[in-house]
Amino acid sequence: MDKGMKENREGIKGWLNPSRYGISRFAYWLQRLTGLGLLAYFIAHISETSNIVYGKEAWDKMLSLTQTTVGHIILIIVIGMCVFHAANGVRLYAAEHGKGIGRAGRPEYPYRPTSLSTAMKTSIWISIALAVIAMLYGAYVLFLSEV
Amino acid sequence: MVRESSIMKVHYYTGLAAIVLVAIHVMFRLTAPGGYYASLEYENVIANYSNVSYVVVLELILVTVAIHGFNGLRVILIELKQGEAWERAVKWLCIAGAIAVMVYGTRTIILASMML
Repeated sequence: MDKGMKENREGIKGWLNPSRYGISRFAYWLQRLTGLGLLAYFIAHISETSNIVYGKEAWDKMLSLTQTTVGHIILIIVIGMCVFHAANGVRLYAAEHGKGIGRAGRPEYPYRPTSLSTAMKTSIWISIALAVIAMLYGAYVLFLSEV
Repeated sequence: MVRESSIMKVHYYTGLAAIVLVAIHVMFRLTAPGGYYASLEYENVIANYSNVSYVVVLELILVTVAIHGFNGLRVILIELKQGEAWERAVKWLCIAGAIAVMVYGTRTIILASMML
């Protein structure tokens, strides 16, 4: 492999570099970080809910471990990750089908990427806003609804 | 060998299906009589598992999220590092992970649905 190609392989440093590609890069790594977080939660959730097959005592013991302030905060973060990942995923699905990214054209100065159209940027901010609203609602249900 | 474009179609469709299925799963907790905390009581959870439609939703969530999640992990790991041996190892690790999660989750669903 030639030296130039090897230099382009930045691995995790290139993946996390927020200085390029604007908000689209921010959405790119947020999509991946939330994806990893949700996969970890999915596996943990399957493990914790499997206690149901060991009877009421095992189930109540599991609930006493997860129904705590820390447990609620983790769940609120999971709610935010889930809503952002889903909303941003729908944006990516639309972009994959050519929606909201404009028509292909000759690159002209100042070389604004068509993938960073107003529609795409607005969609990213809407995804973040939906995640925040869902987290606030989750916090209300977990901390303020009747126990 | 399955083309990467076909795998990504599966990734998108399982993602869209998961949004609907997880929304149903969450609504079952939020709209339960007595509210969220009452829905988590042992008797109510066991009663949920006796509802065939809900059991089907849980199994579909298990399959779609396992496929979507482990394929997403595969995509991330292949983006970070390339090479034939690495890509083959990542592929089989993710397939094994998805199958293990689906088998363990299905075992819970089957055993819990026989408890009432």
